[in-house]
Amino acid sequence: MSTQKDNEKLELLQGTLDLLILRTLIFGPHHGQGIARAIQETSDEELLVEHGALYPALQRLEERGWISAKWGTSSNNRKARFYTLTAAGHKQLVKETTKWRRLAKAIARILGSEAAGG
Amino acid sequence: MFGRKRKLDDFSAEIEAHLKLEFERQRALGLSEEEARAAAQRAFGNVMQAKERFYESGRWLWLDHFWQDVRYGARTLRKSPGFTAVAVITLALGIGANTAIFSMVDTLMFRPLPIGHPEEVVFLCLPRDATHFDSGFSGPEFRQIREQSSAVFSDVGAMIMGGLLGGIGRSDGLTVEGTTKPVQALFVTGDFFQMLGIRPYLGRLILPSEGKTPGADPVVVLSYLYWKARFQGDPGVIGKAAFVNGHPVTIVGVAPKGFLGPTPIFEMEAYLPLGMRTVETGEDTAFLTDVSTRDLFIIGRVARGVSIEGANAVLGALGQRLAKQYRRVGVSTLLQAKPLRPPGIIDGSNPFPALAGLFLTLAGVVFGLACLNVANLSLVRAVGRGREMAVRAALGGKRARLVRQLLSETMLLALLGTPAGILASTLALRAITSVAPASDLPLVFEFPFNARVFVFALSIAIVAIAIVGIIPAVRASSGNLSKILHEGGRTSTARSQRTRTALVAVQVGGSLALLIVAGLFARSLKNAQHADLGFDPRNVLNMSFDPAEIGYGQAQGAEFYNRLLTQVRGLPGVQSASLAMVVPLGDTVQGDQVSVLGYVAQQGEQLRAEYNAVSTEYFKTMKIAVLRGRNFLDSDTESSRRVAIVNEAMAERFWPGADPIGRTFKRDGDSAHIIEIIGEVRNSRTADPYSPCGPLFYIPNTQCYSSVQTLQVRTAGEPQAATPLVLAVARGIAPTAPILSVRTMTNAVSNGANGLLFFHLGAELTAALGLLGLTLAVVGIYGVMAYAVGQRSQEIGVRIALGAQSKNILWMISRQGLVIIGIGLGLGLLVAVGVGQLVGNFLVGVAPTDPFTYLGVSVLLSLVALGACFIPARRAMRVDPMIALRYE
Repeated sequence: MSTQKDNEKLELLQGTLDLLILRTLIFGPHHGQGIARAIQETSDEELLVEHGALYPALQRLEERGWISAKWGTSSNNRKARFYTLTAAGHKQLVKETTKWRRLAKAIARILGSEAAGG
Repeated sequence: MFGRKRKLDDFSAEIEAHLKLEFERQRALGLSEEEARAAAQRAFGNVMQAKERFYESGRWLWLDHFWQDVRYGARTLRKSPGFTAVAVITLALGIGANTAIFSMVDTLMFRPLPIGHPEEVVFLCLPRDATHFDSGFSGPEFRQIREQSSAVFSDVGAMIMGGLLGGIGRSDGLTVEGTTKPVQALFVTGDFFQMLGIRPYLGRLILPSEGKTPGADPVVVLSYLYWKARFQGDPGVIGKAAFVNGHPVTIVGVAPKGFLGPTPIFEMEAYLPLGMRTVETGEDTAFLTDVSTRDLFIIGRVARGVSIEGANAVLGALGQRLAKQYRRVGVSTLLQAKPLRPPGIIDGSNPFPALAGLFLTLAGVVFGLACLNVANLSLVRAVGRGREMAVRAALGGKRARLVRQLLSETMLLALLGTPAGILASTLALRAITSVAPASDLPLVFEFPFNARVFVFALSIAIVAIAIVGIIPAVRASSGNLSKILHEGGRTSTARSQRTRTALVAVQVGGSLALLIVAGLFARSLKNAQHADLGFDPRNVLNMSFDPAEIGYGQAQGAEFYNRLLTQVRGLPGVQSASLAMVVPLGDTVQGDQVSVLGYVAQQGEQLRAEYNAVSTEYFKTMKIAVLRGRNFLDSDTESSRRVAIVNEAMAERFWPGADPIGRTFKRDGDSAHIIEIIGEVRNSRTADPYSPCGPLFYIPNTQCYSSVQTLQVRTAGEPQAATPLVLAVARGIAPTAPILSVRTMTNAVSNGANGLLFFHLGAELTAALGLLGLTLAVVGIYGVMAYAVGQRSQEIGVRIALGAQSKNILWMISRQGLVIIGIGLGLGLLVAVGVGQLVGNFLVGVAPTDPFTYLGVSVLLSLVALGACFIPARRAMRVDPMIALRYE
């Protein structure tokens, strides 16, 4: 893993990390490292997630009641703190997803053919 | 501490787990152990930062910081005990003076009566002019008002003050188990207590069914304080048989604790049903039935939903009907309800707001000086700590956080200062309440500490924090960090030095203003003390009696006084003795309307004169010069011709330029007789020690009986030495007769409410505040000068090394002090002229801009202030250049 390659990765836009975490948790409880890996892998390693940056976001989401957390055991028998999507979190995810799609569509429309050609 | 949502440990464990999981994943991908650990770390980023961010997102972070600040502040304060002590004591004195004065003002003006919904309770009156009113009503008027005001009042009751406060020249005595003691009675209608909405402390209060019939319902309710003081709080007195002025009654209850009656200054000690006023009047029931005997005060409670203004609209019409029906003259017909609140029912101009304004202003100045002082001290420290602050800022301390730290330090000072201030004010209040007014009235001179005052002190402390904390904090954090670091915080002090100079100048000014007010009051006291009273109070013993308290009628009473006088005159060391109805500068003056044949009154001129009923030898005992005519003689008896001796003012008023002897007049109180003038005496003071003397006539006590009389004994030596002898004589004649009071005439004048009491109090209170201000200013000047010398010691060393003489150095330092003092004096004189506007009414014989006081006090303050400069200046002269230069 070279620094060169890391630099080419996309930095997350402000506020999108929350959305990605919620989205990841839709498939069931995950611990922090699992969430980080899942985001990176599902984005085909395109997104750069500094694992440490995940935690303030998790903290925030937990405080708002969108996710809940408790200590459990991972598949390879390690103790870890598992996060679960709450009902409120689910609602939030739907809302945020819709918003994000509209935003992405609008931006795509503005950028139009140029982006496609580039 | 308060629970954080999630512990830091738990968070650390989670990160630990994360790193392990990542490490295992990397191992699974085939990395070596070391590589895997590094990769996991890299993927995670900065662990410390994550933890910090977690920590700072905690909800209670500010509280953490707060506690850190407080602990840090406590540590710094402990490290400089001198500063801490001076600051805390300064704050305590400032807060203390304010709290003590506010406690007084609160008691005298603001604290609502301890009754249900005090804001609804009013008294009724008919205004005479802007400040005067008639609040006396007759029984028939009262009943008509009660019937016709039910639309606006839910209750209407009436009361009559008994005893000395009743103004009919007698007192009341309560006899229990053979012992009679004076008691201040209040006669009330049956619904009085129900209207006030208060419950008994013990037993019961007066019942609504009581008080309608003269002499019926012989019950008495004691006040809490009287019960505590006389019966040591013994509940066994309830149900006991007792006597009021010899009339049998039963003690049925004790009024609630804290309830002094309808006014907070005088205490009503015994409550009786209105009809029982016959214990004072005997057979006479005019106070209930006669249309022109207007003894009743009317108290009412406005109905729910009715404002006092609304009630007044209805009362206005009622007043006009009353005026027509009962022929009231000299008053407006606009019957009015006024709120019954401290200081009670005051006919005439109320002096309390002006007094309160004055003393709150003075206390405010002292408080300002205290704040300035602490600010100054903090500023000195803040500048001294400039380097520390700069280092902390350079190491990443946020500026807001540094400011907060300084603020929390000051807050700690204020926290320490508040209890100390409450202690100081308690001591001050104790000093004030220890004043014993020479009065036979049930004066309550108590200013207790209460919750309201505590809150006041606390809010003062908070203001102090803001004032004291912000200035140095802002200054310290706005410094140029690198400059301070490079220069050791020494050369950047010019600006702060200027600020401190200004602060101290303001202090000097404030304390000058305080001292000037104190000086004015002292001069005023001196004038009052040296006023020509017209009589000689030295070597006179006063002893007051009222045999009516044990049921003596006029014949018995007169006999008692006669024997008393004869026997006392025979005592060794007694030069002369006499009796008088009223004592000059005592609690009361007696006045009456007079009519003089041949004297035509001007439009609206009131023909009033004061009078006193006295025995033979009165003028000899009081040393009042007889100008012409003769003294009263034993031959002036009840059955002989009515005679009077007038003072100069009376002679001048009615018979200007003529000899008054042989002239005649009448007085309303005894209109059946013509009174012939047999002598003229010098003017003497009666109501106060300074006002011009008004018309006054003396009549023989044989021709005007009063059951309250004061025996006055002029002795050859110390008058107090005669007390046991005189007491023994009185006890020998009437063993059970209570003695109202024993005091020397000198004490009566000096501590009487109508004598010099308020002059003393005013002078002492302002002197205390002035001294406090002076002390604060001296501390301020000394602090600034000492600091300046310390800061400039290197410069001074250089100057001395270059050949400067001591006197040059002295001048250099003193000049700075002189500038401060000069500016301060200028400011202070301006402030004093302003404050002088507030004191004018309380001064006698001295103008509020009295140049002598202004000059004298300025000189005094300058000398003291120069003294405070001199000590640091002398230290500057002795600076050893070698040491000063080597120091850096």
